Formats: sequence, structure tokens, C-alpha cells
Amino acid sequence: MSGIQDFVVLTLVKAAPLIYAALAGVVCERAGILNIALEGQLTIGAFTAVAVSFATGNPVIGLLAGVVAGALVGLLLGVAATRFGVDQIVAGTGINLLALGGAAFGLTVVFGQPGASAEVSALGVPGERGLIVGAFVAALLLHLALYRTPWGLRTRASGENPRAVRSAGIDPRNVRLIATMLGGALAGLGGVYLSLGELDLYSDGMTAGRGFIALAAVIFGRWTPFGATGAALGFGALAALQFVLQRSGVPSELMQALPYLAALAALTGIAGRARAPQADGVPYTE
Amino acid sequence: MYPGGVHAVAGVDLDVFPGEIHALCGENGAGKTTLASIAAGKLKATGGTVVAHGNVGLVHQHFELVDRLRVWENVVLGREPHRGAELDRAAARAEVEKLSREYGLAVDPDAVIESLPVGIAQRVELLRELARDPAVLILDEPTAVLAPAEIDALFATVRALAARGTAVLIITHKLQEVVAHTSRITVMRAGKVVARLETAQTNVDDIARAMVGGELPELAARLETAPKPALAVRGVSAGESSLAVRNASFEVHGGEIVGVAGVEGNGQSALADAIAGVIPYLGSIELDGVALPVGDPARRIAQGIRTIPQDRRREALVLSWSIVDNVALGDQRRPSLRKGVTVDRGAARELAKRIVERFDVRTPSVDTSVSELSGGNQQKVVVGRALAHDPKFLLVYQPTRGIDVGAAALVQSRLIEARNAGVAVFLISFELDEVLALSDRVIVMYRGAVVGTFERGALDRARIGSLMAGAA
Repeated sequence: MSGIQDFVVLTLVKAAPLIYAALAGVVCERAGILNIALEGQLTIGAFTAVAVSFATGNPVIGLLAGVVAGALVGLLLGVAATRFGVDQIVAGTGINLLALGGAAFGLTVVFGQPGASAEVSALGVPGERGLIVGAFVAALLLHLALYRTPWGLRTRASGENPRAVRSAGIDPRNVRLIATMLGGALAGLGGVYLSLGELDLYSDGMTAGRGFIALAAVIFGRWTPFGATGAALGFGALAALQFVLQRSGVPSELMQALPYLAALAALTGIAGRARAPQADGVPYTE
Repeated sequence: MYPGGVHAVAGVDLDVFPGEIHALCGENGAGKTTLASIAAGKLKATGGTVVAHGNVGLVHQHFELVDRLRVWENVVLGREPHRGAELDRAAARAEVEKLSREYGLAVDPDAVIESLPVGIAQRVELLRELARDPAVLILDEPTAVLAPAEIDALFATVRALAARGTAVLIITHKLQEVVAHTSRITVMRAGKVVARLETAQTNVDDIARAMVGGELPELAARLETAPKPALAVRGVSAGESSLAVRNASFEVHGGEIVGVAGVEGNGQSALADAIAGVIPYLGSIELDGVALPVGDPARRIAQGIRTIPQDRRREALVLSWSIVDNVALGDQRRPSLRKGVTVDRGAARELAKRIVERFDVRTPSVDTSVSELSGGNQQKVVVGRALAHDPKFLLVYQPTRGIDVGAAALVQSRLIEARNAGVAVFLISFELDEVLALSDRVIVMYRGAVVGTFERGALDRARIGSLMAGAA
């Protein structure tokens, strides 16, 4: 009984950052921006939160700073993609490299040491739990926003046919820009969870490819908030399973590869039903 | 303004009055769509002014709808009714239903656009514009995609709109429609207005002459040729369900044009794809008496089977590429276009220049990307490429769809010249007049089967028409 309970708790713990990042992916892709930079947004969110908590001694201010930093990274992607017509994959990859390098550099500047930060005041268990619940609340809010508000209609339309949005008198580039900022903020929050929620420090590589697993969750969840949340939970359960199976001799590399295999299956096996937004990743120019 | 400094529209004055239906005619590339975009405020003019007493609505030639959204979502996009932060779906649906009733444009507000036939999708585009209560409504080539019954319905709506005081501007190539439904006509050529006509005092020939400048180009003379069999289709079945071709057999000889008469959707598309080798089929297709392997379109191209596909934008051209690159595409392995392992760009350039000259492609340069050309000029590039390497057999699918009379006449002349030079030409067109004008032999298709064959000397328009409609 307690084994199952542990497994469920561990699943939620592992799924929460994936949910935030996957929701970030959903909102961006529904608006037409392929957000490859989720990994970088997680990284910057995680690092900034720790650095600001260190500087102020207040983890809540750290959390807010992490969210804002994530949003700014999102904005960077959005501006590059919508204003300068940079290829979204190239821009996203560049941002990932920049974020990783920037955080590593920041470690030596702020903490005077490479590899990992010092321990800072963190959000603690209540904060971690709050952020786990927050992930599901965010999924619900994003669902309502996408399907029940004028903003959501415009966002979805921008991801399907930005020209139609233009002829309705709205600039789809602005719609996309807002989506990338919102996405960046959500992914930043996922990063905060990793550094100040689950732990109390930042270390290089702590995001461990979660941004890419989240991209898989977006596809697996068919570009919907609930679907992506479900997929993220599934991937969280796989991660939790790793701990359980560690002693059973199943190679952990295989377990780590499972989310990607599942995403491949999603793309191939049920490709007929899993349809990306028509203008996902397609630049809009006038 | 096109790149290279050519103005798409230069110094044009146009007045459209409340309650009138005004036609804007001109060849492809004459500047009609550009002018419409300027008038609707979608494009900035480098000079001049647009004055409108109210909104200007624009119904696009290629609909600007979101395919996976519902009808009501498309109609209210950008000016959504809301209660607080929440989108008021009930109000949005009600608005669509009200507009729908008011203008007699029946459509289910909850239908998803991609599930609708083009005629209904156009209604949605029309409703979206009408929702803004436009004082001026511009329709860009509204009938290009419509069936005859849908065309009648559209013009009934347009007349009702005009009767309510809306100023309507229709951009079209179809001069019969212009004469039948409009009150005044403005003709453009090369970005300038060349004629302003009262519909009551003019006719199709006058309008066409104004469009092309001077007399209509004559079709090339039809020479006596000695046909020898080139392509034989024997018992071919292909395609799916209602669009399939069934057990079709016929021959096309060198030096003749065989035309298919038939209503769209009676197996023509599957037949064309089978001949081009892009879909599997039963039966056999022989070139010079030798059966071709199923599939392998590249080999067919190498053997001299060329096609002019029905959708030039999707199937024939890479729109973002230059004319040079498009002209080389598909023939990149041909010795005359190769230098070692690379494409001989110099040779491709020369070829592109020859095509541009011979087919009168209006373009600033051969390096211009084809997306910047008008539809008619794009089609000239496609036809030029198909005829560039001495084909044995030419499959032509709707060669003049959506292009202006000048370009159409030029394309048709080149097809007859190819026939005179000994090419076997197979023409599929849904314009019966075109089939009858060009063909040495006409076969009639109905529900995927060949139901009649007529030699040129024995063409019977009435009989062909009834066979097309399914009469035994």
C-alpha cells in the first residue's frame, strides 16, 4: 500500500516540471511557434530563482524572478521568430545553448564556483506541493483560456492560419509574441520547481532534457493542455518507475529513452489522428 | 510594386458607387488583385488615396479561413462577443445564424471549415465580411472554384447586396458573368486602366479585346498530321470509390490532341495520376507499344511523358524557387542540364530565358521566384517546361483554369503547335468549349468510364453533353 502511495507521490513530483514545460509547449505551438527552447527556459528559470533567492534571502521573490526570466527568454524567441524571421528551430537551439552557458557562467559570477550553487533558502515542502497543485491548475486555466476566451480563439487561429487572423484585422505576430512570453513564464516556473521546489540549489544540467521530453508530451497530448498534462504524468510515472526498477536490473538508459520512444510511437503509430497545428513553426511574414 | 521596380498598379482611378455591381477585368498580372488589396487596406500604396464611406470587405480568391475552426469561430474572429473575459459562444452563434438568414447564405454555424465543400466555405468567407457591414464588398475571382449552381446562388446574393446599397466590385476573368451580372466594367492592363465600359453598351469581344490590347491572338493553325500511336491506355482502373477511373481504354497518337469531356469528379484525376505514374493502377499503359512499369514517374519523364498538372501551385512548381530552378526541376538528370554531378546552371538559365521569351512570361528576370508571378505567368512556365525537351506525350490537365484570355490563348496555341510537331497530346478540361476547340478526338467520361468517342469531323455537342450527364 505504502509502496503504491510512494509511487504516486514520486510520479507527481517528477511530472510537475514536465507539466509546466509541456503547457508552455502547447501554448506556443497552438499559436504557431515551435518552442524548442523549453529546455533553456527551464534552465534560466531554475538558475535565476536560485540566484535571486540567494541575493534576497526570499525564495518567493526568487520564484517570481524565475518566472519573469523564463518569460524574457520566451520573448527573445518570440522576437527572433516574429520580428526578425529567424528560423524557429535555429533560434530555439541557440537559446538553449545560450541558457546553458549563461547559467554556468552565472554560477561562477554569483556563487564563485562552477558546477553547482550553494544551498539557498528554498520553498520547502509546502512550496513544492503548492507548485504540484499549481501545475494542474495551470492546465485547467490554459484549457479555459484557449477554448473559452477571445484570446484563445485568436491564439489557435494564429497557429492554424495566420493570414486569416491578419484579414480579421489582428496582427498574428503579436498574438504569437504573447504566447511565447506566456510559454516562457510557464517553463520558467517549471525550472523554479526543479531548483527551489524539489531542491534548494541550482546545478549544471539539472534540467536533464526535460524540455525535450515536454516537447514529446505536447505531441503525445495532441497539442491540448489536458492531453499534454496526461502525457507529462505518464512520463513522470516512467521516471518514478526508474527508481522502483533500479534494483531490478533494467538498464536506466533504456528507461530514460522510453519517453522519446513513446513520442516516436505517437508520431508514427497514430499519426493520422495526431495533427499538429497547420502553421506550427511556420513563420508569418507580410 | 514587384521587385525589380515594376509597379503592379500605377496611377489607377476607380469609383464604385453604392448599389452597383462593378466588374474589374484584366489579364493575370494586370494588377487587379493588387488594386483590390490596396482598396481593402491590406496593402499600402506608394502613392494615392482610397476613400470609402464605411468598411471595405474583401472575399479572397484563396479563402483566408482557419480550416480547423468552426464556422462561427471564423466569422467572429477578431471581434468576438464576450462577457467579461469569456467568449460568448451563444451570441456568436446567434450572430452567424442571423446573418445567414438575412443574406440567405445557409450554413451550419458549428460545422468545421475543412469539412465543407468550397462553395459553402466561400459563404463563410462572405459572411465574415458581411458581419462587418461593409459599404464596399470586393470579390476576388469568386466563381473560379464554384460549380454552376453555386455560381447562380452567389450572384443572387450579390444582387441582393447591391439592392441594399452595397457597392460591389467583382474581379473576374469570366466575361460571360461580367456581361450577365454587372452594370459597369473597368478593364486593366499592365497596372493601368485601359477601358471603362457600360455593360449595357458592350459585349464579350470588346471586353476581351480591351484586356489583351488589340485583337485576340489567333490559335495556331491546325495542320494535317499523320498520326502514329504513341500512348495506349488499356483497361486501366485506378483511384478510389466515386472518383475512380474504371476499365478505361483509348489511344493517343502522335500529332493529335485527344480531349476528355466530362464533369469534374468523373475519374479524370485518377486517370491523369495513373498516366503520370504517381498512383498504382490495374491494366496497362503503353508508350510506343511497350508497357510502362506501374509507378516510377521519373522514368516516364525520362522517356518523354510530360504532364501539366491540375494544381500548378502544389504539383508543378516550387513557389519559393526562381524560374531557373523550376525549369530545371524534374530534368536535373538530363544530360543537357548537367555538368558532371552538378546541375548546369548556365544551361538552366538559357533554357529559362528561352521559355520566358517564347511563352511571353511577364517577369522582371528569370531569377524572380515564381511566387511573385501571376497565375497565368506561372502556368506559362509550367507549359514551357513540359514542352522544353521534345516530349512524345503530353498530359494536360485544366491548362487554362483561372488564367486570363491572353495567357489562355497563348497556352492553347502552344499546345496545337506541339501537336503539329508530332507530340501526342491528351487534354483533360472541364471547360467543354476548350475541349471541343482543341481536340482532334473527344472521349467522354462518366463515373470513371469512357462512355463515348467522337472524331473531330463528327463532334455532336448535344450528344456529348447528354453523355456527360449520364445518358445512356
